[in-house]
This record gives sequence, structure tokens and C-alpha cells, in this order.
Amino acid sequence: MPWSRQNPVTVQVLGVCSCLAVTAQLKPAVVMAASVTAVVMLSNLVISLLRHTIPPRIRIIVQLVVVATLVVVTDQLLKAYAYDVSRQLSVYVGLIITNCIVMGRLEAFAMTHGPWESLLDGLGNGLGYAFILVVLGVVRELFGSGTLWGFPVAERLGLYRLGYENNGLFVMAPMALILMGLVIWLQRNSDSGLQEK
Amino acid sequence: MRSFSNRYIVLYAAALVAVAALLLTVVSVSLQPRQQHNRQLETQRMILKAAGIDATPADAGRLYAAHIREVRLLEQDSLTAWMYGTSCILPVRGNGLWGPIWGYICFDRDWTVTGAVFDHQGETPGLGGEIATEAFARRFIGKSCTDTSYTRFVPIVLTKHADPASRHEVDAISGGTMTSNGVTAMLRDCLSKYQDCMLHER
Repeated sequence: MPWSRQNPVTVQVLGVCSCLAVTAQLKPAVVMAASVTAVVMLSNLVISLLRHTIPPRIRIIVQLVVVATLVVVTDQLLKAYAYDVSRQLSVYVGLIITNCIVMGRLEAFAMTHGPWESLLDGLGNGLGYAFILVVLGVVRELFGSGTLWGFPVAERLGLYRLGYENNGLFVMAPMALILMGLVIWLQRNSDSGLQEK
Repeated sequence: MRSFSNRYIVLYAAALVAVAALLLTVVSVSLQPRQQHNRQLETQRMILKAAGIDATPADAGRLYAAHIREVRLLEQDSLTAWMYGTSCILPVRGNGLWGPIWGYICFDRDWTVTGAVFDHQGETPGLGGEIATEAFARRFIGKSCTDTSYTRFVPIVLTKHADPASRHEVDAISGGTMTSNGVTAMLRDCLSKYQDCMLHER
């Protein structure tokens, strides 16, 4: 299933760049996850519907045009209806175009499967990506900024008065990579089917 | 696998691009007023914040209209500023490490900073990105761009180990040296344009 044994991030190790970039706080991570899920679902659907008409020689270009169009529409919608978050995500919404998960699913699945299956495949992969983004977002915001979805958790618990300090490393990209490595390690350790012989 | 003629491929590509372009045009044109409104509200919120008024997106428009007046300064009338009572809010914009940075500085009658607000497009969170925090903006309160006799323009600089007694030094961000340098350059370049106004007490 795409959210566990076929997880696009932890098992296939795709879409890592954006995982590191947008997970310093939970809210942008969730919006990014929703955007990617929407894009991968819709582009899977469109490519699946068109799959018998697409000339194989230009299929990658066709896929790219569809993905790019959907991403730009998403970006415009965010700018109109979720302005603050879209400013935080800045270039990373546009960079969904280059997210390997999207092109990977189009090429590996939507080109050879029906529209309904492709839509579900997109949903599964989107949720797999969303899962890891939310995990990273929660951990990094909690330890890096002492907040969760902007709510000042550490301050309310009175931790600062006890001498607690936020760990600045958590808001930086290297810590996201370390955390993701830990998730991959935990998953491979508990699921022997994923271990390379 | 079916083979396709060159003619089909060219026509297919052209049709696809035309449909995509049409869709994007419709989306862009229909969402533009909303996006512009959002950008305008964001600017108004920042100006209000520099003046010391916390506004939400919902009441920013009303508070701005009630308290802020846009004015043109100097003989060419080319410089924009905003008045809040007797305070004057000046815009600054410049370059950080990764992209544009900008802000608004509020001065009282004798050109002492009473409030500041900064924002950025893509500075590193936790390092240069700290310029967008209130804690950073508060460091500017009480600073000034002129010497005490209003004879000389003295830019506010971000520096290590800033002297708290100095009217022109502000503590830079540790780990955000490049962004701090960008802020220093921005304050010098943008505020010096207003120095003719500053060099006499209002």
C-alpha cells in the first residue's frame, strides 16, 4: 500500500527535497501535503483519461505540461485563498512540478491504468507523502519553535521558566534529513520485508 | 504500442498547450482581484504593525483607513511615507541572502524609532528568517538615523556586540550575518533618501 510498504518518501525515497524544505512548521507542511495530494490525484486522472491518445514519443512532455498547469493553478488558488501560508511555502509550491513522486506515478501507473484506479493511486501516494510531512512538521515545530500549528505549547506549559530553550537545529534542513532517516530506520527495522537481503 | 504520425504528434502538442494556456489565463484573470486585495491587506497590516497596532486580515482595511494617511515627501514628491498621528512611517526594501527583504519603520516627531517591522521572501528559518520576528523588530525601538543635533545622517547598523547605549547600533542575528548585512544596507540606502526631512526636528 502506498502509505506504508510503498511509501513514496520512506521506501522509494522520492520527493525528499520538499520534505526538508517545508516541514519547519506544521501548518505549511499540511498545506503542502494537501497541494501535492491534489496535484498527483488530478494529474493521474487526466493522464489516465488521455493515455490512449498520448503519442509515446512526447509522453514525458505531455505529462509535464499537465503537471505544470495543475501546479500553477494550485499556486494561484493558494495565493488567493490562503495568502499567509502561500507566502511561507514560497517557491516550494511551484517546485511540485519537479517532485519525482508526481512524474513517477504518471509514468509508472497512470499511463497503463484506468481513471478510477489512477485517482486512488494518486490519493494513496499523496497520503504517504502527507504522513511523513506531518510527522516531520510536528516534531520540528514542537522542538524547534516550541509551538504547534502556531499555538505556543512550550510557553503555556511554562517550560521557559524552568530554563528550557528551543533547539534551533530542529528548524534547519539537516535535522529534517536526520529525522527522516530515523523514520526510515524505524520502518525498515519493524518490517523485515523491506530489508535488503 | 500504436504508432502515431508526425502530423498527429504536432497537432496533439499544439492542442494540449492551447488548452493549458486557456485554463491558466482564466484562472489567473479570475483570481487576480483577490490576490491583489491580499497583497494590499498584507502591506496595510505591516504599516499598522510598525505604528504599534496589531491588525488581523479581517480588520486591517478598516483600521488602516481610520488611522493611516499616505503622504508624499520632499520637493519631487517622489518618496512615499505614511502618517499615523504625528508619527511617520517610512518604507525600506533591499536584498537579504536569498531574496528580497522589506520593512516599515515608524519614527516619532524627533525621528526616534518607535516601531519597526520586517519581512522576507526566502531567508533561512531560524537564522536570517528571524528578522520577521517581533523580538528582532523591538531591538530598533529608541534608535535614530541622525546625530543629536540633527546635523548629520547616521545610518542604523546591525553589528556584533552592539553597544546598548548607542543610538545607531542594533544587535545583529547570530547565524544570519548575510541577512543582517542586507538589513544594514537596506536601512542605509532607503532611509538616507529621507535625510533632508530628518535633519531638522519636526
